[in-house]
This record gives sequence, C-alpha cells and structure tokens, in this order.
Amino acid sequence: MNNIKFKGATLAKLSFVGAVTFSFMCSSITSVNAGHHGNVYGPYPITEKSYKGTKKNSVSYGGQMARQLLHNSLKKLASKGSPSDPTLAPEKKMLAYLNTKDKSKSLPIMDPKNSSKFPVKQKMIGELSGGANLSGKADKRIQTSWPGNMSGVDVIKFMIKKAGKTKGGVDTRNGMNYPQLISKYTMGAVLYHQACDNYLDEKMTASSKPNNKPYKKGAYYTGKEHSWDEAFGYWGAAAHTMKLSAAQSYDVAKKKDLKAADYNKDGVVDLQTEMTYAHAYYASSYDKKGKTNYLKTVTGAFIDGRKLITAADGNKLSEAELNKIQDYVQIICSNWEDVIAESVFKYAGSVYKDLSKIEKALASGSGMDKAMSKYLKHWGELKGFAMALQAGPDNKSDTFNRMNRMMGFGPLMPNLSQVVGIDSSGNYIKDQGSSIGYYKLHMLKIQNLMADKYALKAKVNDATGGMAALLEEVGTKKSAEND
Amino acid sequence: MEIFYQYLETISENFFDPKKRVFLGYLFSAFLISFIWLTFVKKEKIKQSIYKIFDKKIFMSKSAKADYVLFLLNIIILMFLSPLLISQLAIAHFVFEYLHSQTILTPLGIDINYMWMIPIFFTFSYFVLDDFTKYVTHALMHKVPLLWEIHKTHHSARTLTPLTIFRTHPIEGVIFVVRSALTQGIVIATFYYVYGGNITFVTILGANLFSFWFHLFGSNLRHSHIRINYWSWLEKILISPAQHQIHHSIKKEHHNKNFGVAFAFWDYMFGSLYISKSDEDVKFGISETEHKYENNIIYLYLSPLIGIYKLIANYVSSKNLKVKKQKFIFNKQTR
Repeated sequence: MNNIKFKGATLAKLSFVGAVTFSFMCSSITSVNAGHHGNVYGPYPITEKSYKGTKKNSVSYGGQMARQLLHNSLKKLASKGSPSDPTLAPEKKMLAYLNTKDKSKSLPIMDPKNSSKFPVKQKMIGELSGGANLSGKADKRIQTSWPGNMSGVDVIKFMIKKAGKTKGGVDTRNGMNYPQLISKYTMGAVLYHQACDNYLDEKMTASSKPNNKPYKKGAYYTGKEHSWDEAFGYWGAAAHTMKLSAAQSYDVAKKKDLKAADYNKDGVVDLQTEMTYAHAYYASSYDKKGKTNYLKTVTGAFIDGRKLITAADGNKLSEAELNKIQDYVQIICSNWEDVIAESVFKYAGSVYKDLSKIEKALASGSGMDKAMSKYLKHWGELKGFAMALQAGPDNKSDTFNRMNRMMGFGPLMPNLSQVVGIDSSGNYIKDQGSSIGYYKLHMLKIQNLMADKYALKAKVNDATGGMAALLEEVGTKKSAEND
Repeated sequence: MEIFYQYLETISENFFDPKKRVFLGYLFSAFLISFIWLTFVKKEKIKQSIYKIFDKKIFMSKSAKADYVLFLLNIIILMFLSPLLISQLAIAHFVFEYLHSQTILTPLGIDINYMWMIPIFFTFSYFVLDDFTKYVTHALMHKVPLLWEIHKTHHSARTLTPLTIFRTHPIEGVIFVVRSALTQGIVIATFYYVYGGNITFVTILGANLFSFWFHLFGSNLRHSHIRINYWSWLEKILISPAQHQIHHSIKKEHHNKNFGVAFAFWDYMFGSLYISKSDEDVKFGISETEHKYENNIIYLYLSPLIGIYKLIANYVSSKNLKVKKQKFIFNKQTR
C-alpha cells in the first residue's frame, strides 16, 4: 500500500509536469498594445489667426473643471440635509452649487479641500471659472427613468429639494440615497451629456464652430480647439494621465497620492490640470483591475484628436481631418458609454449581493441596518448611473426601457413596498412590489442586458460570473465517449 | 488550419488533461494496479503479468482498432455538432433565474465556522449527482429500444481496452454531452443559488477531487481484460472493473446489469446489481456469433440508423395492421 502511495505521489508530480509542459506548448502568447501616447494634454500653441494677444497656450477648459468641482461639492452637501431646518438652508446651499456662476469667487470648493496631505492650489470655484454653473448645462430632455416626466435639470432640483429635507441625505422609508443619486445622475446629465451629446457631437461637424474662426469673438482658441478642450474637461482626467498608471490616477482622485498628482512639482495640486474627477475616476477604478484600459484609451484619443486640430494651424479642417476626428469621437464616446455601463453592471451586482444579505437577515431575524445602508447606497449608485447612461447621444430606447422597468423608480424595500410615482405635491407614491427573489432576478437581467448591449470587459460584481467560472472548471466533453 | 489544430488539441487533451479518463497519468496508474493485482494477488510471474497487461491480441484486435478509428473520427463529428447543442452555461442561467422566482429553495446563511465544509460538500455532491445521471442515462440506453440501437455500437466490442469508451456512436456522444450539460447546469446553478456564490470545487491537478481518485484507482480497468473484483460488500458500493466487464458480457444472465459508473449502490437500489464471481468466464459483445461487419467503421455508423428505421417501420406497419404494437420507446426485453 505504501508502494502505491509513493508511486501515486510520483505520478501526480509527473502528471503536473506533463500538464504544465503541454499547456506551455499549446498556449499562444498574446501581447496587448498599450498604446503609448506618452504625452500630456497641453500646452498647445495658439493657432487662431485673429488673436493678437500674448497668450502662448490655446488650451482652455476652466469652466469644465469648475463644473467638476461643483459636482464634487454638491455630492458632499447632499448628505447634510436636515428635516428640522425651517430655513431650508441645506437645500439653498445645494442650489447655489447647482445654479451659481461664481464670478465673485465666493463659493468654496467642498471637495477636494486643502489639507497637508493633499494641498490644493484653488480654494474657490471662481478661481477656475466665474462663468460656469451646472444647471445651465444639464440635459433638457424629459427623463422617463424618473417619475414625474421632468427634464434632466428638474430631476436634479427635485432630488436636491428632497435631500435638503432628509437627514443625512438618505431617505430610509422610500429607499433614496440622494448623495449617490444626485452625484451619479449629474455626472451623466451634465458631464457626459455635454461632452458626447454636444461638444463632440454637433460641434464636431464642418459647419459648427469651424477651426478657421475663434470660438467666440476675441477668443485665443479656435472653434474646434475649444470644443475639443471642453469635452476633455468633462471627461475629468488629469492632463498628465498618460504618464500615470490607472492605480495612480485612482489614488489621485482619492487624494492619496500627492506625488502622482503634482506633475509640475510645485507642491500643490492644480485642480485645473492635475486632478482626476468623476468619469475618469470610474474608468481608473476598472482599469486598475487589469482587464480594461478605458482611461488611457479615452485620454489618448483626446490627446491625438487635439494634436490633429492643432496641426491644422488655425485652418478649416478638411473632410479627411473631420473624418479622423469622428474616429476619435467614436473611440471616446463608446468607451465612455461603456464605463458608465460597467458601473450599472457593477452596482446591479452589488444590489444583488445586498439583497441576499437582507434575505438572510429576514430569515434569521437578525439586524439588517448595515446591509440596508449598503443596499440603499448601491441602489442609488445603480439608479444614478442608469440615468446617466440615458443622457448620452445614443438613444437605445428599448434597452433603457427594459432597464428602467426592471430597476423601478425606487429600490424594493424589505416590506416589499416600492416607489412607483410622485403625486402633484412631489410626494412619492408607493405600491406593493415583487418578491425579493424577483427583484434579485431583475438585477441579474440588468447585468445580462448590459453585457449584451455594451462591450463590457471589467464586469465587476458579476452575479453569475462565479457560476460561469465553475462550469469552465468542469469543462465540456469534446469526444463522444461512454462511461 | 485552425480547425486542424483544434482537432489535434482535442485529441491530445484526452491524454494530457487530468479531467479526462484516458489521461496518461491514469493509464499509468491502471497499469500499476493491474501489475500489482496479477503479480501479488494472482501470483503470476512479473514477465507474464506484463505480457498479459499489454496483450497484443487485445490491443491490436480488429475490435480495438475500430475503437481507435472511431475515437479519431468522432472528434471531427463532435467538433461540428457541439456548437449546435445547448451549453451548460445557458442551462445554468435558466435554472439560476428560475430559482429566483420560487420560494421552496432559498439561499442559506452559512455560519462562518462551517464555510470550509461547503467546497467539500459541493464537490462530493456534484460527483454523486453526476454519477447518478450517468446511471440513469446508461440504464435508458439499454431499456429504450431506440436508444439501445445506438448503444449497441459500444457493446459490439469483442475486446475491451481503455479506448473502448470511444467506441461510441456520435448520436450517443451527443446524448452524453447533453446529459453532462444538464447535470452541470442544474447542479452548479442550484448550489450557486443556495450558497450565494460561496462555492468552489476541491480539485487535484484541475480535476474534481473524487473524479481524480476514481480515475487514479483504475477507472480505465473497467474497459480492459484485467478482471479485478472487490469484496462483495464493496461491490454494493463501488463498481469494480469485473462488474463492468460483466455488463459487457454476452451471457443472458448478465444483460441489463451493472449500469453504474463509479457507485454500485444505484444498481443495488434499482435492482440491476450483479456481484462478480471470481470463477465466472466472461465473453464480450452483443451475441455469440460474430457479425461479418461488426468492426467495419461504416457499418458501425450506419447500423444504428438502420436499426432505428426498422423499429419505426415495424411500429407503423403493426399499427396499420392493427396487430400488437411493437414497442420502441420502452421495452424491458431490450437485451
């Protein structure tokens, strides 16, 4: 018997060596073209021929960075709601960050705030731009993903009003986490919408904002240069993103890596050019896991496109150049859309997991406060990103309708109630929803829908991914064989 | 060219992948077990044992040669048929989604202290359930006349070698692929649902722990001329090589016995168990008299189809003549 054991062990080793050798022989080595642009977004020379001033750099996207910071600040304020404040101060403060153009440089930046670990150059929104607000640029179309048939900007105002009256911004009765809803929807309704449904859409046609004319009278940049810069600003990547790893960009957004952020080595982070925001941050969060390269694909396309426009030297872009620009636009907006779809996928998976925990807590009678808190946060992120996805240029109405129907207007609560609409006074109307099992099934279907309709690769929190891996492990029969 | 490489890869996979029964490691262990059995239990001389194990009359018989050719040809056929079949992933998704709409089976909350048990329980359950579906499918291949016509190809082997498992009609190959996909899809999706994704297989060299041991301890000897039998009590639990060889016997009393693959208790439970006897002579095949073309490849592919056609034609004509119907869906007297 000992003999058999010894032979068995030797055999196992031999088998392992054989398997490894065979795998090595059979596997093909693939390489990934990382696409080394190796450069920074700007500075680019002045090409606008009518400009007679002293400026040397034609890059300008201060308004967009101001909006990134207005968005960051709005998210911070959305968690400061107070039901007992008769002055409605929280709501008024949020509305200020939604509507105000900070000419007087009186609106403080709430996030990132200056700290010794992460010192920032600008303290007021107006230091980046005194002419930018969020409400003026929000999606004006009717939003079917939210009750009440409101326009995009009205949806944000509605959420702000509710958040102002809600303790901590989280309505545990109806399941609304307003900081997440406001933040993620604003990312879509303003940032993504403006970039892909405006600057990279209409403004990249031959007739709109031509390159042989200033963007506006007296401007030092051409129509196409500035339109392109504005779109880049909405993307939210630091100008030197191509010199950073995805993990570094992620840590910059998290205010954890001053060294990576401070590209010009002046000891402070310039919130105009050295910070990672919103969509670029989410792209980095997926890329750092290694399966995707969204951040550098999009940022690289922005840089290549800007170089092409700059190379036109203030002349009208030819048809070939405009076609090339359209290629870059396609890369930028399809990858951007995929980043948002990845988030919908990810948070549908989070909601699925949270509901499983809630189900177990309900069955065992144990406390579920922590699980509920996570559930509402993740649902807010899911809903916000799902609404953001619908703010782009591509109206995938069938996909959106299915997604909205499965998600609902509010999360399914443990008592199986769910928001189904709002009344004329803006109060939520609730009805009995499906079972938790059905709602979990909807989350699975949302993940399947995202995977079917978008070119997802990261697929974080894949609710059935483990199952697919197990089936892969078991393998399939490729030979006709008896037992 | 890519298809050709895929073909070669599939052939080599059978011998180099520890998930496959004819993995070289398992063939070697089968040799070792045979050698120990013949030399130490049957007291044969070392040289004689080795000659017996690698008996040329067995491995180079007409029957064995047909097995080898079928192995190579069936891979090509399955390469084209497999993509048309429902995948285990599609089945798993369907089952997993269905489980969300019912209330009888609910996800379990597992105490963190017992989490380590789940992979072992899951791996063992999968092995047992997979074995059970193999038993049921195998029994049906014998009991249903239409299926028996197809399964006859396998039983037409006059000599048994480890590669006789590939002496299989492609239709039967498809049936086994579907069985495998259904089992994998249903079992994995159900466990995944109940244990909330906290499941993994316990594996050795990538193979299911229990499959690994089953193969390492001589699964290849089922199809061989080395008659190894267990104690009778053990043959009620595990199928011995001798018991499966009895399953291939032409003797009437051996017909429709020992359908099990790893476990014998399915046969014990359903009344098809036959305990091996050490002095019993076993001759393999379907009938005593050899058919002229029983190892002809074209015959092996076409005869099941002709057999099915005859069964159906017989059924239709008996219906028209209003005589006693010839059963072809279920008939206990298949063999």
